[in-house]
Amino acid sequence: MNSNPYNLLIYAVIGLLTILSVRLFDLQVVKVKVLSEIADGNSVRDRRVLPVRGSIYDRDSILLVHNVPTYTITLTPRYFEDSTTGVLGKHLAIPDSMVTSRLKEARQWNKWRPSPAFSNVTFEQYSRILEDSYLLTGVGTQVQQRRDYPTGVNASHALGYLGEITKEELVSSETNPVLNYGQGDLRGQSGIELGYEELLRGIPGKERYWVNVNGLEVKKYGKRLSDRQPRGNHDIYLTLDHRVQALAESLFVNKRGAVVALDPNDGGIIALMSKPDYSLDSLSINRNEYWQSLVNHKEQPLYNRATMNLMPPGSTWKPLMALFGMSHDLVHPEESIYCGGYHPIGRGRIFRCLSAHGNQTVVEAIKNSCNTFFFELARRMNLTDLKKYVTRFGFGIQDSTYRFEQTAGLIPDSAYYNRTRNYWTKTSTMNLGVGQGDMGVTPLQLARYTAALANGGTLYTPHMVAYLSESDTGNKKILPDRTEGVQLDIDPTHLRRVREGMRLVMEQGTGYMAQIPGIPSAGKTGTAQAPGNLTDHSVFIMFAPFEKPEIALAVQCENTGDGSQCAAPIASLLAEQYLKGEVPSSWRAEIRKRRALSATSQSLIPQTK
Amino acid sequence: MRQWYKNLDWATLLIWIALCMCSLTAIYSSTQGEAQQFLLDKVQESFQRQLKWLGISTLGLVIALIIPVKFLLRYLIFLAYITTIGLLIAALLFGTEVKGARSWIHIGGIGFQSAELAKVGSLLMSAHVLANGVRNKNIWQAALITLGILGLPILLIILQNDLGTALVFVGLIPILWLCTGVRLRTVGLLIIPPIAGYLAVVNWKIALGFTVLVGVVAWYSTQNFKWLAAGILVGSMTIGIASFALDSVLQPHQVARIVSFTNPEADEYRYGVGFQVSQSKAAIASGGWVGKGFMEGSQTQGRYISEQSTDFVFSAIGEEWGFLGGILVLLLFLALLLRLITLSKRINHPLGSLIVVGTAGIFLIHVVINLGMVLGMLPVIGIPLPFLSYGGSTLLTNTTLLGLALAVYMKRGELPFHV
Repeated sequence: MNSNPYNLLIYAVIGLLTILSVRLFDLQVVKVKVLSEIADGNSVRDRRVLPVRGSIYDRDSILLVHNVPTYTITLTPRYFEDSTTGVLGKHLAIPDSMVTSRLKEARQWNKWRPSPAFSNVTFEQYSRILEDSYLLTGVGTQVQQRRDYPTGVNASHALGYLGEITKEELVSSETNPVLNYGQGDLRGQSGIELGYEELLRGIPGKERYWVNVNGLEVKKYGKRLSDRQPRGNHDIYLTLDHRVQALAESLFVNKRGAVVALDPNDGGIIALMSKPDYSLDSLSINRNEYWQSLVNHKEQPLYNRATMNLMPPGSTWKPLMALFGMSHDLVHPEESIYCGGYHPIGRGRIFRCLSAHGNQTVVEAIKNSCNTFFFELARRMNLTDLKKYVTRFGFGIQDSTYRFEQTAGLIPDSAYYNRTRNYWTKTSTMNLGVGQGDMGVTPLQLARYTAALANGGTLYTPHMVAYLSESDTGNKKILPDRTEGVQLDIDPTHLRRVREGMRLVMEQGTGYMAQIPGIPSAGKTGTAQAPGNLTDHSVFIMFAPFEKPEIALAVQCENTGDGSQCAAPIASLLAEQYLKGEVPSSWRAEIRKRRALSATSQSLIPQTK
Repeated sequence: MRQWYKNLDWATLLIWIALCMCSLTAIYSSTQGEAQQFLLDKVQESFQRQLKWLGISTLGLVIALIIPVKFLLRYLIFLAYITTIGLLIAALLFGTEVKGARSWIHIGGIGFQSAELAKVGSLLMSAHVLANGVRNKNIWQAALITLGILGLPILLIILQNDLGTALVFVGLIPILWLCTGVRLRTVGLLIIPPIAGYLAVVNWKIALGFTVLVGVVAWYSTQNFKWLAAGILVGSMTIGIASFALDSVLQPHQVARIVSFTNPEADEYRYGVGFQVSQSKAAIASGGWVGKGFMEGSQTQGRYISEQSTDFVFSAIGEEWGFLGGILVLLLFLALLLRLITLSKRINHPLGSLIVVGTAGIFLIHVVINLGMVLGMLPVIGIPLPFLSYGGSTLLTNTTLLGLALAVYMKRGELPFHV
């Protein structure tokens, strides 16, 4: 083989470069798909873009809850220069050693990434650092959002607070990939924030971006199709009246208890207050520490008394008992029952009345709060009928359309007595006639029932949301939790008598000192027996104006005495505030305020703010 | 002298310019784009530095073209070789270590890689010795002397711990021998072992088949069983030694370095020795037909391939310019190599011809080993892609070699008979 060596070399060059070309073709054309996946797997990342959480407004569109920016200073150790330490320390008014120690922590985490070092700096500090950013290499800023409450209203139990999502919630939310929760996300933990979490928060968007070999963002992916805007976040417009709510909070100092005020015409919640409460502002700014102090607090400020607390209704039960008695022919509307100061069955020792009222009709019995009359009704009744009847008014059950934490309450039946007593007779249930004994109702249930008395016999589901407005479209939405009322089919003549009795309570009876000047109203005081040696609970229900009611209220004041002492003046002031838009000064206003403020819950542990 | 430029081979010069433009583009993209902010300060300046080196190299090219060819062939060859050896020893004694290789010398603030510069002197000296052999009709003696001429720098470079560059010198031997007139069967005995060894690493059955094929071809072409036996013996000995070395002599990490290219995506290599190659393959492949565009390569801009502006520069080209860009570069190299070999054929002077074909040989070895490595066909051997990889010494060396080749061709009529 005597070929020219130069030609051999030419063949070799062509052969070798052909092999390389074939390999190039193999990689870039044949295997392009498989290997591109490896390449993209390296460098393409998706990031969630959270929607801005919806704001919350009251019934007059006054802003109650919104988001404000918080400013955080970050350090990126790779770019940080020693000369920066002093400048940064001066701007933040902290010693240099603090900057150095934060820098050390940041370096241990990641040299290349900005790590949050100083959170909650003021806007002035933040903007000064931005101005001097050319001096501050390796120093960055982050702006995040937190909840802010611009009005003086606290309404902590109604509005609720946010907290970081827990591991368990994260696991259970994984079944809903649309909502796409992530570690560290804030989530509603109570109240409106919890009940309407998904609608407030919305659906996160997606942003695709490139990362480099160190996992740091290089740039946006660029192709717009891959990105998705966050959407589905809503602003919420409540039925809450922030001035009524604020007044309730200011009147309830040094007291345990709850207020629920409803619009009797649709069940909208005008005020919902539980005391002791907590500061939503403090929770928003200093979540972890403040929350710890709340959890460990002896007065349990996180507990929502308005929807959870059970106590006997006391005499506020009597209007319902009267309706029950008349509808079940236990007593004729015109019939009188004699009161000698006690019910004969107890021989004057057990079933006592406040005084010897003589012959009492239904109207008089309500006006005078005559125990004997209602003991007699209870003696005549069938326990099963009572339970059935009051259940229609919402007692003893939970309402499934209602989005708050709630307790069902206790309305006993024979099964209950069989379970808890060795031996019981008809006399054991006679206490139920005056709203005492083994029964428990929540302030919310009382208010709901009062609203039904006010509007002529329609039971509405209490709700706090008037409507929602979707942030990106502005579309108004009304949720199904605002339901049609349920007709209770109360005989109008029966109801008229009960209402008449309640009007007389205000004009001549225990509610006399709680009248609203110029506005006729109806109410009923109650005194719920507290266990042990504690002072009784003060309970009051009320609606006003009498002819065309616009507000129905229930107030419970724990351990403050009888119903006229504390609960009645508070309810009346709130109703006046709602109906008139203010509480004009008058001697009646003064005396109610004095009574409301001077009452103190017995054995209350002073609240720490 | 009036029409000297008529003999200058403008085609080669144009190819050179095209390659340099490709180089600047790729280096710019891989060091000035999104990747820049995460690079070391020194690497961030790569583009500007390469531009500076291109200027210096162009100066080298011009000087090579205007040096009187008689002076060059008579004195400069010895001077260059002696300087080469001197530099290599100096680097060993006073040099600085970069990436494990002690081959850097700093003169007046500029760093030189002595092993790169050594290519010029070594090629000139070997060509000189072989050309003398041709004239004296004693090729065998000259061929053996060449072993010594090249062996000395090879030894020094191995001592510098730069095996990749040493390999280029080794690869030069069969090419120069072949073009001097050493018979193919003899040269074949030199070429068979690396091929057989390579195949043994990939697949010992293919290696064995190759050995048998070599034997058959040897017997067919020579009709002599001696050559058949020699071919098969050399082939199977290589396979045996390679297998034995991989199994029992080398440390596991050394074995991994050698064999990982066969399957860099395997779990044991993916995040270790195979990382660079698998990233390089993925980056190139993801370019597809037309690539992702200038400064748009996610892998390049994300710095997924280390050495992406130097030895692995082709990955940036493959990703951002796609198959078309890659083939363009390959075609440019093909044109350059074929042109140089064609030029060398036209020179009827052994020394001149050997200088030109030797230059082509050096480029060929670099291209094949570098692209074989970047495309995942060869183990990672750190040598640059001529004219494309970032690196001043490399560019200067290669451009000077090209300049000498062009000068020899341009002045082929003036070449002295006796040198």
